[in-house]
Amino acid sequence: MEAIRNYLETMFLNLPNTPEVYKAKNELWQMMEDKYTELKAEGKSENEAVGTVISEFGNLDELAKDLGIEQIVHSTPVSNAKTLPLEDVKRYIAEHSKHAFFTALGVMLCILSVCAPILFDGIAGTWNMNEDAMSALGVCLMFVLIAIAVGLFIYSGVMIGKWKYLQNENYVTDFATTEYLHQQAESYKPTYAILLTIGVILCVLSVVPSILIDSFTNYSYFWENLSGALLFVFAGIGVFMIVIGSMRIGSYNTLLKLNQQGTVGGSYTTSQQNNSQYIHPAVTGIMSVYWPTVTCLYLIWSFLTFDWWITWIIWPIAGIIASLINNTLKK
Amino acid sequence: MIQISSDIIRGYNDTMILYLLLNKPSYGYEISKQIKELSGEKYVIKETTLYSAFTRMEKNGYVESFSDQDNTAGKRRTYYRITELGRQYYREKCEEWMLTQEVVEKFIMKQ
Repeated sequence: MEAIRNYLETMFLNLPNTPEVYKAKNELWQMMEDKYTELKAEGKSENEAVGTVISEFGNLDELAKDLGIEQIVHSTPVSNAKTLPLEDVKRYIAEHSKHAFFTALGVMLCILSVCAPILFDGIAGTWNMNEDAMSALGVCLMFVLIAIAVGLFIYSGVMIGKWKYLQNENYVTDFATTEYLHQQAESYKPTYAILLTIGVILCVLSVVPSILIDSFTNYSYFWENLSGALLFVFAGIGVFMIVIGSMRIGSYNTLLKLNQQGTVGGSYTTSQQNNSQYIHPAVTGIMSVYWPTVTCLYLIWSFLTFDWWITWIIWPIAGIIASLINNTLKK
Repeated sequence: MIQISSDIIRGYNDTMILYLLLNKPSYGYEISKQIKELSGEKYVIKETTLYSAFTRMEKNGYVESFSDQDNTAGKRRTYYRITELGRQYYREKCEEWMLTQEVVEKFIMKQ
């Protein structure tokens, strides 16, 4: 029975998701199910029954005119799109989740690297060590961490580069694979939601330890430095969670997006929301670099002035501007 | 073994389906089963052919579809019912076939 269902779903996978197509699929399914049930009742084996039903199914070309899909059936030869096998899909997911981990780790190391000079400075100041030597050590450690992070980025990026061909060539996934991906993506969603929520909370709360430490401990050089470092530790862990979650969910969406939108297979994708269309191409260009620019502005302002207590204001303002642009200039 | 010519039979799928609907409404699988039985298992109609015939005839007003509960199988099914226009079309097709058969027959050599 499952084999028949898969066969039918695969036949319909790349057809547009219209009421006519939906109705045809249901009707054909009814007939196939009836035939299968009767063949089984006659004592045929599972294989025989499935074989008969599939061999007597016919050809979708016959329905093309009735369903208004002549163009699709005749203009896109099946050989044009290659099918990505399930094993490749599983490998893609596995390698991309590793890539997500390495990238997130790299980003976290970059953020944590700032802690090194701060902490070494604090240690030197508290225990009367050679301040020059200690701060030199701290800066060195910072660069070592950054170097490790860059190494991770390059290694992981090269390893993942071999999958580029999916974007350049026309690939689709068959029904069983699409269904598998859809289920995997769905089951990852709760984890993603938790990672994203805790990640954002950690970023927002990153200033809390400094405030607490500053107000509850007696003023000491070491504690003051530690509170500064803790800010980066919190933000680093938070960003790690956000990056790893977004990248993993992104890899599912990339694969689901292989199937054209508006087809039965493509209707699983949530990409409709991601592919924003703006009235003017210039706006599309600006919006594609909007959040990275905001992030840069935030970091530049914060690091230049060290007014961390106020610079966060950039985020709500940027959010309001973005939703204004989305609501007024979107197609 | 000689097979039935799909080119010839294609023009008479509608006739067979309408014949089976003359007395009572029916549904997809029942019709395909009856065609197979009446033809002595010499002709098996494909599911897509059958569905395509249904939609075409419904558009032309020869049949009407309705959804009903099948008590033996215990599920809802789409049934088809012949219309007056359908009966008229069926009679025309019968006459057309008699004529066709009469003409072709004259050229068939019998051993």
